[in-house]
Amino acid sequence: MVRHLWIRRLTQAASLYVIGTFSYYGIFRCPFAVPYVSCENCPVLQCPGRKIWLPVWIAILASALAFGRAFCSHACPGGMVAELFSRVSLLRGKVRGMADRVLSSGKYLALMACIYVFWFMHNPRWAVPIRTGGFTESTMLTFEHAFPLWFARTGIVLGALALGLVIPHFWCRYLCPTGAALRLAGFRPLFRYFMSKDCTDCGVCNRKCDLETRPAKHNCTNCGDCAGKCPAGAIKLGR
Amino acid sequence: MKDHNVSRRTFLTGGVATLATAMTAGPGLAASEAGAKNLQVWSCGGLAEAFIPANALFESRAGARIAYTGAFAAALGKSLLGNAQTEVFAPRVLDLAKKLKEQGKMLEYHPLCFTRYVLVTPKGNPAGITSIADLKRPDVHAVLSPDSSAPGGQAVTGLLKKAGVVQEATANAAFLGSCIQHDVAEVAEGRAHASVVEMRVTRLPRYKDKLEVIDIPEEFFPAPPITFTIGVMKWAKDQELARAFVEFIRSEPGQACFEAAGFIPAMSEEGQRLTAKYGVLNG
Repeated sequence: MVRHLWIRRLTQAASLYVIGTFSYYGIFRCPFAVPYVSCENCPVLQCPGRKIWLPVWIAILASALAFGRAFCSHACPGGMVAELFSRVSLLRGKVRGMADRVLSSGKYLALMACIYVFWFMHNPRWAVPIRTGGFTESTMLTFEHAFPLWFARTGIVLGALALGLVIPHFWCRYLCPTGAALRLAGFRPLFRYFMSKDCTDCGVCNRKCDLETRPAKHNCTNCGDCAGKCPAGAIKLGR
Repeated sequence: MKDHNVSRRTFLTGGVATLATAMTAGPGLAASEAGAKNLQVWSCGGLAEAFIPANALFESRAGARIAYTGAFAAALGKSLLGNAQTEVFAPRVLDLAKKLKEQGKMLEYHPLCFTRYVLVTPKGNPAGITSIADLKRPDVHAVLSPDSSAPGGQAVTGLLKKAGVVQEATANAAFLGSCIQHDVAEVAEGRAHASVVEMRVTRLPRYKDKLEVIDIPEEFFPAPPITFTIGVMKWAKDQELARAFVEFIRSEPGQACFEAAGFIPAMSEEGQRLTAKYGVLNG
């Protein structure tokens, strides 16, 4: 179990190195309404996304087919921030049942909104692109000259991530459109954690889970942290 | 919480250490070389493809480090007219340079280069467009970006008005976008028949071999976005270095970078004609 956790930590660190900057640019410097998807024609010269966006998306979608939402728990920099915040969340275990399921539909609505804006509105530009410049200076200039809709978009993302300090993984569970897309793409992945027939329905996995779910259920990101905590050893990795 | 195999302290320490490692490896954070002189340069974002190689040339020759920012000139100008500071500034629109000089923020300015607008079509020109007047044709669906930054938005709208085609071109547009560099991909991919862009856009690696270029008569060009100047700002800590940089950018090797990026260098014969036409005298 500890070995598995450290493998996950190493994967997260490696991912942070590879796509951390891209992730940062998407939130703080991307001038478009939907970040991470108009990279090929983007005027922001410094963003590594101009070169890596397509391989990154192919890898993410391939990972969804193989491992479901494992990208969220093993590689997403936003997921890592959310995980960090969840360690000190004030309302652990308080949002459950129907409320959790209703809120969870938010990420599918966010995905639909992103698809609509990208596909039917040609992904409009909501900020002045700071094409190249110093790390801090460019971020400050982006904020200084952004349009109100950009502030709304960025505010929602940062606000939802910050809400993770109150409700664990608020962004990942309720608003992340990428998580919704991965859930749909990886609905029947090749490998996933699942509850075998030995499950006694004791609920330990649910109580221990950072995302407050159970293996293979909605919001499960295949992190595998629950596998070593099941008293009946009923959580398996497989198809 | 107590059952986590990695304690909160270990997790937080690991997270902070990882973030620190990633950020140190990130671009833009590398410390400048010890002992090297630094110069902060801001310019209109459209000039970025020219400034980046020109800056590298200057750095290798002068042993100085250029901290360069390229973004929409009106936005940078607004910041500089407010509280922002830089050491060298190369704005689009002559009036901005004049305003900065009047306020005593820009010490002097010189002609740098000029832009020009062209009509672009997909390779093979499937709609058989021969001039700007063809944008009136009902079967021609252009991409226009009225909401993009002024050089692509208002300027192109002004150009189309002068050419007498703005109503038809807008009515028949494939779509009206907000970022010319992003939207012109529709033309490059053959999903729209034409667009009006600055020549520099046709030199971007993404579009270099994907567009046919048709000249637009100069009489239709709106004057303000055509001119670029460069000047030393009052905040330049090393005035000698700042002036040497401006001089280099306006010299033959510096200007060659601007020509390669699709601009008309101020030092060229054509540039001198435009300098006189638009009244871009040293200020």
